[in-house]
Amino acid sequence: MTIENFVLYGQWVFLAYFVGINAGYLMQNVIASFGIRRYLQTADQYEAEAAFSALDIPISLVVPAYNESSSIITSVKAMLQLEYPDFELIVVNDGSKDDTLQKLVDEFGMQSFPEAYRARVPCADVKGIYRSTRFSNLRVVDKVNGGSKADASNAGINACRYPLVCVVDADSILQPDSLRRVVRPFLEDSSTIAVGGTVRIANGCLVRQGFLEKVRLPRNFLALVQVVEYLRAFLFGRMGWSPMNALLIISGAFGVFHKETLVEVGGYNPNAVGEDMELILRMHRLMKQDGRPYRITFIPDPVCWTDAPENLRDLKSQRVRWQHGLGQALMLNRSLIFNPKGGTVSWIAIPFYLVFELMGPVIEVAGYFFIIACAVLGWLAWPEAMIFLLLAISLGMLLSTSAIMLEELSFHMYSRTRDLMLLYAIAILENFGFRQLTAIWRLQGLVRWLRGGKHVWETLTRSSSLSDRA
Amino acid sequence: MLEWLFRSEFDASATVAIWSIAAVLTTTVALFVYTLGLRLTTIVGTRRRARTVRQWRSILASAVLSADAAGTLKLPIIRANNRTDVMEEWNRLRDTVGGDAADNLILLGQRMGLPAVARKRLRRRRIQSKILALQTLGHLRDAPSRSAIASYVAHPNLALSITAAVALVDIDAETAIETLIPMIAGRRDWPRNRVSLFLRMAGSELISEPMYRAIRSAKNEDKTYLLQFVHLVEPEVLEALVIDIIRGVDDPSVLSAALKLVRGYSGVPRLAALTRHRSWYVRMQAAKVLGRIGQKEHLSFLESLLRDREWWVRYRAAQAIASLPFMGPNSLRRLRDQQQDHYAADMLQQAMAEVGLA
Repeated sequence: MTIENFVLYGQWVFLAYFVGINAGYLMQNVIASFGIRRYLQTADQYEAEAAFSALDIPISLVVPAYNESSSIITSVKAMLQLEYPDFELIVVNDGSKDDTLQKLVDEFGMQSFPEAYRARVPCADVKGIYRSTRFSNLRVVDKVNGGSKADASNAGINACRYPLVCVVDADSILQPDSLRRVVRPFLEDSSTIAVGGTVRIANGCLVRQGFLEKVRLPRNFLALVQVVEYLRAFLFGRMGWSPMNALLIISGAFGVFHKETLVEVGGYNPNAVGEDMELILRMHRLMKQDGRPYRITFIPDPVCWTDAPENLRDLKSQRVRWQHGLGQALMLNRSLIFNPKGGTVSWIAIPFYLVFELMGPVIEVAGYFFIIACAVLGWLAWPEAMIFLLLAISLGMLLSTSAIMLEELSFHMYSRTRDLMLLYAIAILENFGFRQLTAIWRLQGLVRWLRGGKHVWETLTRSSSLSDRA
Repeated sequence: MLEWLFRSEFDASATVAIWSIAAVLTTTVALFVYTLGLRLTTIVGTRRRARTVRQWRSILASAVLSADAAGTLKLPIIRANNRTDVMEEWNRLRDTVGGDAADNLILLGQRMGLPAVARKRLRRRRIQSKILALQTLGHLRDAPSRSAIASYVAHPNLALSITAAVALVDIDAETAIETLIPMIAGRRDWPRNRVSLFLRMAGSELISEPMYRAIRSAKNEDKTYLLQFVHLVEPEVLEALVIDIIRGVDDPSVLSAALKLVRGYSGVPRLAALTRHRSWYVRMQAAKVLGRIGQKEHLSFLESLLRDREWWVRYRAAQAIASLPFMGPNSLRRLRDQQQDHYAADMLQQAMAEVGLA
């Protein structure tokens, strides 16, 4: 192959990728727009506040905690105040090296309790179970460190007593009515086995006593960009897949599961880097393998707020981990790819993830090098290159604008008009540098997966703790 | 040297790209303007609503307290763009009151011209308009609209149908309930608390007989569903129904639903058989029933359930034993120590710890 041919084919590969990924995103956007519209109509009809009050399904809230001494008390206090008629809270102390357990014991009057614990899903040894003398619905599972959040979550699942399990990060801020909202799909459709909700960025928001008081945009540029990114990812990314029952991920920060199904599929995989995605893929795989009807659903309501990394080191670490987890999860469940029984998951969602999400960074980064190489060698036709660059940027802006529009149409959490304008500004600015940087990190994640890297509990530098902040 | 590559190959595609940019940018700007429009509409709407609520709140409050005020108060003109806000505010208050206060509000609503406005809105295409109209007509107890409202009860749209159902009960509970109860099993999309609401509005006396008939004649899966609402019927009807079901049905979900309704009265048939039922869920409910009944002669059943292979059955049996009035701390400890099955002993230990006896 001559160099001319190589360059020529390269252009067509990039063009095909460009058209494919944008067509995919636009399609998701359209599906999500209709989905959100329909959801909001029924949300009004159900009058979410009161609709199911006395008939809600009891939920076990599992909170894995590792070295969360600084925030665990505020988190638990906030979670105990969630607006839901019947729930229990199970904090799993995963062999913390700090005084997480002691703080819980002191604050909530935890006492060792002879519980008949059943290890239904595998996890490291449980040292003891504590029950609060002040809150009848609070227990703490103290276990040997299992090296991952998945292992801790599994111990919590084993201790659950209720039919639904909600796994939440210890540093997540939940909306007071989050459980009520997220339980709705289980009530509407008894074949529902998992439900996820929108996770939003808490940086910059006013938090008091573990609850979000005012929604504000962060001042940090990286966190700001992630606000727009999360809007895109959740409001049309996941909302686009959900109506096709092809949702491949429910965020580890907040997800609700039908407990028996969760136990049946073996709980979380402690060796998975992206344990949240791997679990959902496994659920799809096993349900399809057995030919059982099921639904994995996403609700667009903002149910959970989480801290986003504010420095490049943490952001890089997060993105590398996500990409590594994606590769591993797809590989572990590879029998789903083009599986005749797999439906939309096997024939649409997974191929899309494989080509555009997993391999995307390879093509994107190669594209950047290709352009630079052509420019250096003087092969670049600048006007045409600029046209395609402008098209790429404008499509990126369109997708972000559309996500911001969906947010305004649905939940309008950012009530200040200047916040709205700032989001638009970010929708333009993120195209210059941020996207390219994340593509490179994702490529590094891909390489790490291919080289078989291992994952352990990670501690990110938080913008601030969960304690009160403005 | 290779400039031709881009130029010759991309000429056509560059043209397409230019047009695509134009289309994408136009759409982006349109979405941007639309979003700003939405924001503006929200701001203006919120302010207008606040003004309307301020203006009407005192009038509505006075009307709630006195029929005279409801009949004589001077009412402000309701402009077309305020009608929805006023109707919503009236409905919000009407939802929270009953008795004379409700009658007063109805009188005020009639003076405000709400029946005519609501009937007109019921003919509109927008679902939201129809819902508000149905709610208003129901709250106004507008008998002339009954047949129009009834036509929406079977509507596939959940909000329309359930709002219409509630409105019908508001207008004439006796007639409405005969139509609605046979529909409940078929309308699983109706939020259960709304169903409970209209059953409660009708009252236990009115719903007992139709409910009894509906459950007796229903298929097993419908029976289970309907049993969720049966606690709203008169206690003697409930007891007869539950005993009938326990005696004559073997379906695990129906049995479980019926057992959940047993509230301590004796005379529950087939208890021994239920503790050996093939479904663990039934055995678990039987354990709970035995705990609620609290009879000494049932202790042996509970002991056998304590050794059940299913964790939940053992747990409920242990809780039931620990709650038996005749089982003091010493008897419980003795019973625990007698257990040769360590699962049974562990479970009893846990149940004792839960009541502070470990």
